[in-house]
Parts: sequence; structure tokens; C-alpha cells
Amino acid sequence: MDLAVKDVERHLGKFAATIVGVGALLAIVLIMNGIYRGNIGDGVWLIDHIHPDLGVVERDRGGPFNEQSRLPEDAYKSVAATPGVAEASPFITYAVQRQVGNSSQQFTVIGYNVFGGLGGPGRLVAGRAIERAHYEMVADEKLGLALGQEVRLGVHDYTVVGLTKGAVDSGGNPLVYLSLADAQEVLYQQDNRAIEAQCAASLKTLEKAGYLPAQAKKLLPLVAPATDTVSAVLVRLAPGADARQVTRRIEDWLYYNVYATAQERDLMLQGRLRKMTAILGLFRSLLVVVSIVIIALLVYVLTIEKIRAIATLKLMGASNWVIVRLILEQSLVLTVASFAFAYAAVHLTYESFPRTLVFVPTETLLTFVAMFVGGGAREPARHLARAAHPALARLGG
Amino acid sequence: MAIVKVERLKKVFGGGELAVTALEDIDFSVEAGELMALLGPSGSGKSTLLLCISLILEPTAGVIAMNGREVYHDGRTGIDGRRFRRENIGFVFQAQNLIPFLTATDNIALAVTLNGARDTAAQKRARELLDYLEVGHRADALPALLSGGEQQRVAIGRALANEPPLVLVDEPTSALDAERGMKVMALLKRVAKERRSAVIVVTHNGRMIAGFDSVYRLRDGRLANDAKA
Ligand SMILES: Nc1ncnc2c1ncn2[C@@H]1O[C@H](COP(=O)(O)OP(=O)(O)O)[C@@H](O)[C@H]1O
Ligand SMILES: [Mg+2]
Repeated sequence: MDLAVKDVERHLGKFAATIVGVGALLAIVLIMNGIYRGNIGDGVWLIDHIHPDLGVVERDRGGPFNEQSRLPEDAYKSVAATPGVAEASPFITYAVQRQVGNSSQQFTVIGYNVFGGLGGPGRLVAGRAIERAHYEMVADEKLGLALGQEVRLGVHDYTVVGLTKGAVDSGGNPLVYLSLADAQEVLYQQDNRAIEAQCAASLKTLEKAGYLPAQAKKLLPLVAPATDTVSAVLVRLAPGADARQVTRRIEDWLYYNVYATAQERDLMLQGRLRKMTAILGLFRSLLVVVSIVIIALLVYVLTIEKIRAIATLKLMGASNWVIVRLILEQSLVLTVASFAFAYAAVHLTYESFPRTLVFVPTETLLTFVAMFVGGGAREPARHLARAAHPALARLGG
Repeated sequence: MAIVKVERLKKVFGGGELAVTALEDIDFSVEAGELMALLGPSGSGKSTLLLCISLILEPTAGVIAMNGREVYHDGRTGIDGRRFRRENIGFVFQAQNLIPFLTATDNIALAVTLNGARDTAAQKRARELLDYLEVGHRADALPALLSGGEQQRVAIGRALANEPPLVLVDEPTSALDAERGMKVMALLKRVAKERRSAVIVVTHNGRMIAGFDSVYRLRDGRLANDAKA
């Protein structure tokens, strides 16, 4: 006769409710694991995906992803002319908050040389890459766009020709790919009224500086803000070229900053991601501790509830094994069933989670082991069971 | 031969100035089929005596022999207390000593399986006993749904599950009204006579012991043979 099973049968509702409750808690632990890994994964995905041999950015800037960097567009020509460089592509990236479909969405625009340049889209799941110089875009499916859909950005409509899945910036926001020229346009172009206002302001400045109105009008194009800048130049090295040498040359002669992908990645991990990673890590550990405490406590309560029954069993001459099994089996079922519930719940729903969740099997396993062993703070319960004196069973006789 | 023979049994709780001598110089024996009453006021040591006989409490000194075999002689004689209880002793205590999550049948069957029997055999034996104790119709009820008298019958069934030579009963009627109490006592009498078990019944109610074979009285831990019938 299996006592644990009999007890569970009698209290099926209570036991099921406990499993659902603990399962929900464990689901949060698993989601937290996923967020923690997803945060890091998203954070470096773009860098890992583009993976240039070198990235050239504005002098004294921390790369195109950690802070803004501006280079003249034709910087790529001088970079390409540097010995050891096989290919140099202009690349622009910036974050925007724009109306897409019916809602205002945050995303990052990436502009690249669509005719064979570096830095194009990855994780394409539908459609194709951009093939024309203008008015085509590739968007991540997170934006909720369909192939063929027209999206207005700035003053033009762009047709969605391709969809990606999981192409995100370091903050987990979706990417939109445009041709370099289009990306610059979306960033800088203004409508006519805004242009007029800008001209009026510039004219006023020139007139204040002492130019006659006729002179000021002629000077106007010279003071207009530049709209042909890029964030970085992506470099592919020639076979056998020494990256350090090329880096030194570009830094010394062209006066730019140069990062290898690994350095760019470190910048991201040490900079933008560090605090978030620390906070998420802290939450993760706290959740694990709380869950272990709760499971141990539940097992303890399960045992306390049975303390008289346990004393009676000892009185009847039941061996310790019979008693330990009663507690052990239930705590085992509780832990395993709760974890299974959590695992199923998380894996059925994580796709629709607003952030990317990344599950590392070894971490999931470790979490399970922690719960399994932690609820080894089963030890107080076992101690309690051992201490229950059979004389306790006779209730004040 | 006596089922149980107790000689100069002594039990002291605690030590030093706080020592309480619960039992002193206890001598008695019980034969198979004998129904023995143990009377005495509250705190006189009745429960302590039963717990010592069954080795749940370790006596301080004395000799306890079961079927001629010494299980205690101024110290344990290397016997496994739980196994000794499983095989030799059935207990009936006040109400509420049934395992709450087991049905009446399972409560009895459990005692049988603890002694090594198979589940089906245990179930069969449990149902026989419930019928014998006239609670067969409550076989599948949980203890909480049984009346006090029914619970006590199931508890007696559990005590008899392994046909123990000795049945220890501690205040079985204290939670019952007089009429039901008398019925339980009558049942215990039947058990002693029909099953040839030695039955020791503790009570502080002298009216309940009509028809007992022997009556002992405990007062301040000392035993007096009242009126051997
Ligand atoms: N575990 C214990 N520790 C100390 N004293 C005890 C303990 N159990 C019983 N006693 C004492 O032993 C005496 C006999 O108790 P008990 O056998 O329960 O009496 P009864 O069952 O006759 O009412 C009482 O004085 C009681 O206080
Ligand atoms: Mg008592």
C-alpha cells in the first residue's frame, strides 16, 4: 500500500492547487532565466550578425551601437583605399519611434549598401533582401507588417519585401533595413514647411552676422546641415592582412576609431548591458532562493499535517522507510509536477512574450536540480518525521 | 505460560531534582485469553506502563518477558522495538488514532501489510475483521466520517490485524457515552475470549470493568492487585 498515493488521492484538489501555485512560481523563475539570457542574446545579436573584421567609427566614439557616431559618407572610399582592406561599406544605424500601422513603435533603422555591401539583413524568413536602390524595406516580423505592405516613414512610402524573425537591436527592438540613401532620408528629410522654417532661421543668422540678404541667400546651401553622414564603415580585410596593422593605419592616417567585432561586443557587454544583466541576475537568484524556500516550507507543512499519522505509524511498528517514503514521494511529486507544469506553460507561451526569451538547457536543468535538492531543505521535514515520538499518537491518554 | 510477565518494573522521567518516578516495583503477568483491567486516577502511571511494556518508552529498570522471552532486562536485550510491536502487540488508544487519509479497510490493511502480507490478502483480512466487529458496512469510509464508536471498532480491528498475542487498550471509552463505552468493552471481552489474546484495558472508570478476569489498581506508580476474579 502506497501511503503517499493514498494521501494525495484524498486531497487531490489541494494537491493540484499547490502544484499549480508552485508551478506558476517556477514558471516565473524559468521566464527570468529566459529574460536574462535573452537580454544578453539580443544585446549582442546585431554585432555578432554583422560581424565585420573591423568597424570604423568617428574618432573617440564607442562604436556605432553604443553611442552615436557620424562619418562623412565617402569616408568608406578612403578606408577602402587603405592597404589590407578588401572591402569597405558605409553603414548607418539609428533608433526611432514612428507610427507603423496603427501604433507608434520603437525600432532601429539600418541603412546599408544594398548592392553587395556589408551589414545586410539576417534571419530572413519570408520574401527577399532589398534589391532596388529606393523604397524597399525589410522589417522584423515583430513590427507586425506583412509582405507587400506599404509603410510611410518620413515623406515616402516603403514596400515590405522581406521579413526577418528575431532581428533586433541591443534593446530587443525590431530592425528595419533600408538602402543607405533611404535610411539617410528617413533620418534627415523634412517636409516643405520644416525646410522653409530651417531656411528662414539660417537666413536670420547670416543677416545677424552682417551679410546682406542677397549674400545670405547665396550662402544658404553652405550652412545647411549635412544629410549624407553614416554611422560607421564596415571593413572586410584582405586575406592575410594584419588587423592590427590596418587598424593602426586607419586610426593614424584617417583619424577615426576602429574596433574589431570582439571589442565591439565587449563594449556592449561592459557598457549598455552591464547594469541590466546585473539587475536581472540578482532577480534571478532571488527568485530561485524564494522558490526553494517555498518548496521546502510546503514540504515541511505537508509533514506537520501528518505528524500524528507518523507517530501512529511508529506506534504500529512501521519502519522508518515507510515513513520517509510517505514524505519523500510527496515532495518529489510536488517538485517534479510543478516543474513540469512550469516548463510546459513557459514553452507553450514564450513565443508571444514581448521580449526575446532564450533558454539554455543546462540552466533549465540546473534550476530543476536546485528546486529538487533545495526542497533537500526537505531535511527539516525529515528531521521532524524522525523526531515524532510514537507516544505523541495517544493524545493525552 | 504467561503472555506478558513484568517484574519490578521502574520508570523515572527526567533526572536530578526534577526526576518524576512514574512507576515503581511493578509486578504482574497476563495469560492468553485473559482480560485485565488497569484502574487508577489520572497521572497514576497507567499510560506509562503500557508504553513501557511495548518498548515505546524505555523503562528505567526491571524485566519484561513476552511469551517467556525477555525483551527487557535492566536494559534492552537487543530487540528491534518496531518489529517487536508489529508482531506482538496491538494498540487501541483514545479516538482519533486512525490514519486520517485511509479508509477503515485501509487502516486495518496497512497494519497487515506492515507485517509483510500482500495487499490483496491484507484487504481480505481487513474486511473480515470489520465484519467481525460489526462495522463491515463502513468499510470504505474515512475516519472523519465515522462515529466515535465506529472509529473505536476500526481501531480494535487494526489492533487485531496481525493476531497479536497481546492487545493494549488505553482509555478506549473516554470519548464515548456510557452505552457505546459498554459496547466497546463487551467487544474487547469477546476478543479475549474468542481470539485468545491477552487484553490489558486501562480505564479510570470503575463501572466499565464488569466481567474482567483481573483488576489492578495503580496509585502513584505502585500497583495493587485489586480482586483477582
Ligand atoms: N514524558 C514525560 N516526561 C515527564 N513526566 C511524564 C512524562 N509522561 C508522563 N509523565 C508523568 O508520569 C506520571 C504518569 O503519567 P501517565 O502515565 O500519563 O498517567 P495516566 O495515564 O495514569 O494518566 C504523571 O505524573 C506524568 O506527569
Ligand atoms: Mg493516560
